[in-house]
This record gives sequence, structure tokens and C-alpha cells, in this order.
Amino acid sequence: MVMPFFALFTVFGLFPLLYTLWVSLHDWQLINGDEGFVALDNYFELFGDPKFYNALGNTLTLLLLATVPQIVLALGIAALLDRPLRAKTFWRSAVLLPNVVSVAAVALVFGQLFGRDFGVVNWLLGLVGAPRLDWHAQGWSAQVAIALIVVWRWAGYNALLYLAAMQSVPAELYEAAELDGASRLRQFFSVTLPAIRPTILFTAIVSAIGGMQLFVEPQLFDTNGVAGTGGDDRQFQTIVMYLYEKGFGQFDAGYAAAIAWVVFLVCAALAAACVVLARRLPGRS
Amino acid sequence: MASGLRKSLLVIAALTGLVGAGCAPAEEQGIELSIATFGEFGYGSLLKEYEAAHPGIRIQNRVADFEAHHKAIATQLAAGRGAADVVAIEEQYMPQFRQSADKFVDLNGFGAGGLRAQWPQWKWEQGLADSGRIVMGLGTDMGGLAMCFRKDYFAQAGLPTERAAVAALWPTWEDYAKIGDLFSGKVSSAKFADSAGGIYTAVLNQSPENFFSAKDDSFIADRNPALRRAFTIAGQIGAKGQTARVTPFTQPWNVAIKQGSFATIACLAWMLTQIQEAGGPENAGKWDVAAVPGGGGNNGGSFLTVPTQSKHQREAYDLAKWLTEPAQEVRLFTESNILPSEPAAYGAPEVLSKTDPYFSGAPIGRIYAASADSLKPNYRGLKDAKVRPTFGTALGRVESGKQTLDAAWDQAVTEARAAAS
Repeated sequence: MVMPFFALFTVFGLFPLLYTLWVSLHDWQLINGDEGFVALDNYFELFGDPKFYNALGNTLTLLLLATVPQIVLALGIAALLDRPLRAKTFWRSAVLLPNVVSVAAVALVFGQLFGRDFGVVNWLLGLVGAPRLDWHAQGWSAQVAIALIVVWRWAGYNALLYLAAMQSVPAELYEAAELDGASRLRQFFSVTLPAIRPTILFTAIVSAIGGMQLFVEPQLFDTNGVAGTGGDDRQFQTIVMYLYEKGFGQFDAGYAAAIAWVVFLVCAALAAACVVLARRLPGRS
Repeated sequence: MASGLRKSLLVIAALTGLVGAGCAPAEEQGIELSIATFGEFGYGSLLKEYEAAHPGIRIQNRVADFEAHHKAIATQLAAGRGAADVVAIEEQYMPQFRQSADKFVDLNGFGAGGLRAQWPQWKWEQGLADSGRIVMGLGTDMGGLAMCFRKDYFAQAGLPTERAAVAALWPTWEDYAKIGDLFSGKVSSAKFADSAGGIYTAVLNQSPENFFSAKDDSFIADRNPALRRAFTIAGQIGAKGQTARVTPFTQPWNVAIKQGSFATIACLAWMLTQIQEAGGPENAGKWDVAAVPGGGGNNGGSFLTVPTQSKHQREAYDLAKWLTEPAQEVRLFTESNILPSEPAAYGAPEVLSKTDPYFSGAPIGRIYAASADSLKPNYRGLKDAKVRPTFGTALGRVESGKQTLDAAWDQAVTEARAAAS
């Protein structure tokens, strides 16, 4: 019965993965194909490439800027939804709404909201007398804006996962805590959080992997075009954007394949780190 | 185990079979040709006419934006399927695709060699590959330049507003920069130019060599005085804050035109249509067109090619040939402001007599034909597309005040050298 899955996985998962590895060991031009085996040359070049480290650094800061507030916000929303509410279904669908909007549309809209001359955010800043910002030009401001897109899209989705987990926490635990005189806040930290740890771990891993592959949001946030450089100074170029620039802008498929494999390895390492971290969190057991 | 493997192979076979069936062209009667272009080629009415004159041929026009179009071609050529029968390629991308000339039909086989007299020599040669042995593409438009300017802002600045007098203000780009200082001292509601990048491109394209030597394709970006001059003129105007800092054809650029954020822009013929669309009726009559500083200049232009994966190469060639004939090129200009690359077309009376009411009735036919006559072709090196962006982003850093002109130049040269190696 699991055969169809493995067949599909082989065709669409394993084969591309191994083929990418094969390509990364060659001087491979996008159109002309294989131009000779070069062993690990692409990787050596990559590890000496400052643009690669810049993109990797941007990706990791974006990952932190997006994932941490996202989880905190999602927990807050879930806690609110977990109380007796009128029109429950309405609120639950409402928080999921940002997630079903096309990511391209969202990124384009945010790119304009944060526009320098005619953006809404700068207009609001102007109303309260704050200085207008050239959001796209500075690394930190561009990254904050991009992280906001990610948080906006995913916080609601994660909140629903947390909500489902929270509702499966046995009611006796709360009753016992209440008898012991624990406040709502104390209950949240001492009962709810430990109980839903596996779900938090799952969302952290998924967010981290998604964050490593962040592409559409920063790519379309760049109102200056789609070259994939992430600003004049590569101030918000993520690792996948660099892959895109190399592979599809300069047709250097071998180098792009090497980047893809490094992203894969970093994802695996991040997932492992999440598991280790989660084991150390105080648990119910 | 063995049966399991066989089953999985069956599944794979079924899947690939499905995929194959899904992509098979459904054309029992007649031929369906596809043509892939980017931006605005103005082919709409011509293609309908061609269909009417050739019963049995239906044409599907795929239009994407500049970057997406060229990236799609690359992946389609690599995959060996999915490319249109006729594919437009922009001059800037020609060196890259010329290295894969075997993926394109040698149009000599259909007698393209006999058409060579239609084009000026440089345009014909840009469409060749393999040291001139292969005719890879037939030339379409070209990027003759003019300078679009806002009359109302010029009046505010106390400058002349009549197009001949305006052109006389800036015989050279250095003069243009001086007018920028004068303008910026008087007018604060609008910037002088759209972007440093736009000025830089216009100046640079007036020089026969950019980043690579026309003689042996060697890297000369670090010592080509023409490149340094273009970078300096544009960078200084940008560093003084006299540009609106918007990249052409982006959403902020459209808004800037609508809001009247800048007073001059080096404009290609087809850019007039885009300015008109972005500006809308409320800006009609505010713009005019004058000659560009430094004479002509070539900001690109395209070629029609036929990929070898096309199943209807003969028909595709016939369509490309027809579309690039002078009679059709004339219509592309009169209908959509696409400047023909063929002297017989841009010298035609219909072209020369064309004026544009949106641009204060400017005689755009005469202006662009004159710019076409004085046009100097540029040599584009093999790695042109890799090197070009480094100078563009460097100017962006100068404009936003992140770097001084010299620091940006040094970084651009270093990056360019790395990209070219």
C-alpha cells in the first residue's frame, strides 16, 4: 500500500536530489548541459565566495526575525481562541485567511506598502511626525519588512495547529492547577506549553526549513526588478535568491546545484538542532 | 521485492506516459504556431492579419516580461521542450544564447542569407553565430534614443520649453549635467532625471565598447574611459540627489510618472507608449521629446529565432521573415512606436511623418529616424550579462548615499572582474 508513495517519492524527491548532487559535481551550463566533471570544485569556490556568506547570513537573520515572533504570536492567538468564544468558526477561519492568499500577491502588496515615496507605511510614519524610511535600501529595515510578510502569512496557520494541540490537553490538569491556586498565566506556562511541546517543535522545524528556502517574499519585495540580487548591496538576498541568480541569471547550473545541496544540509542540521533544543525544554514527562 | 520493483516501474511508466500524453500537441487540422515575446512587441494586429492570409495557421502569442521571458527560454532549451516556434531574444542576451547556437535553427537553410540587405550591417551581424556561419536570428526593432522632458517643469525652472531649444541646451552629457544643477536649484517639486542607471545606460550605449574589447573580447571595464565617464556623469547626478531613484518599468517608476516625480528621461521609442500608459490622460501634453545629448545611441533591440525543438520550423521561419519585412516594421512604428532597425523602414514617409499628440505633437518619426542614422552599435561581450549588473547596483549605492562614487566604482570593477573570470 505504501508503494505508490515510494514510487512518487523516487520520481519527484529522491531522483531530483541525487541528480542535483550529480550536477553539482560538474561544470554544468543551464542550456548546454554537462561540460566536464570537476569533483568538488563548485563547493570549494562556494566556500570562498563572500556573496554566499552574505546570502547565508541574511537568510539566518530573516529566519530568526520571522520564526521567533511568529511562534510567540501564534501561541497568543491560539490561547485567545482556546477560550469560550462566540462565532468560533468565524475566528478560526479568519486567522487562516492570510495563509490562503497568494504569496506573490502578498509580497507585491507589502513591497508597495513599504515604498519609499508613496508607501502607506511611510505615510503613516509621516502622520505621527516620524522620519520617513527608505525601507528597501537598508539591510535591517528591508529584513524587518520581509519578516513581517512571513509572520503575517504563517502566524494564523500555526495558531490553528497550537489550538488543536491545546484542546487535547486533559482538562483535569487545568482543574488540578486551579485547585493549587495557579493563575491563568501560570497555567499557560506550566500546563499548556509543556503539553503542546511536540507541536511547537514541529512548527519550529517547518518554519526553519521554510525560512531556509525563503524566496518569493524577498524576491518580489524588491520593487526594482526580479534579477534576484536583493537590493543594490545584496542587503536582503537570501540563499535561494543567490541560487536563482547563479542558476537562472548566469546559467551556471553546476554552481547553483552546489548551493542547493548546501541548503539541504543546513536544513537537515537545523532540524536536528530543533530536536535537540526541544528535548531540553522542560517537559511533561 | 522483484514484483514490488516491477510495480513501481509500472507506476513510473504510467506517470511518464500521462505526462507525455498531456503535452502532445492537439492539432489534427492546421498548424498551431506559437511566438514568444516580452514587453510590448506590437504584434497583435499583425498576427491576426497573418492568420487571415494563411488559412490553416493559427498563432498563439505568449508575452512575458523581459527577465521571465529570457529565463524561460533558457530552461526550455535545456529541457528540450516547451519553447515557442518563434522566440524573441533581446540583444543583451544574444551573446549568452549564441553559445548554444546548436539549439537554434540555422536560418540559412531557409534562405535567410538572401535577406541580409534589409538590415544595416551591424544589426545583421548581431543575429549571426558561430563566427558568422549560422544565421540565428532576424533583427526586429532597435533602441534609438531621444530625451523626453516635462515642459511644465522646464518652464518653472526658467528653461526653454521648445524642443529644438531644449536639445540645444545639451549637445553633450556634461551639458546635460549642468542643466541638471540649474534645474534642481529652481524646482523642488520634481527631480531632474528618473535614475542614475538610466543616464548611465544612455551614455554608455553611445560608446562602441562597454566592458569587453571588440577586438578580442578581453575585459576592459577597468580601463575603458567611456565606461568610467558614463559612470561618473550618472553617479554625480545621482549623488547630488537630482534623480527620482526609480528603475524603468517597475511599479515605483509608473507611479513616479503618474505623479510627475521627474522632468527628464532618456527614452527609447517604445518607451513612449509606456510613459503614456503610466502617465494617463491627465498628463497628456505635458511631455515633449527632444534629441538626446551626444547624438544617437542604441539601447537594445531584438531578434526573432527558431529553436530546433520547433515542430514547424519552416512555418516558423516564414512567420519571422514576414514580421521583420520593412512593410510590417513600418506598421509597428506607426501603430506601437516600435522603432524599425531597417533603413528602408525607418526612412519610410509614414514613419518620418509620424507625430505623437500625447507628447505635444512631437515629430517622433523624424527624431528617432535621425537618432537611428547616427547610431553606433555596441560590442557585447560573451560575459556581458554577468558583468553589466555590477555597475548598475553600484550606481544604486551611490544614489542612496551608501557609498561614494569612487568606492562604488572600485567595488563594481572588482566584482565585474570576478564575474568575467
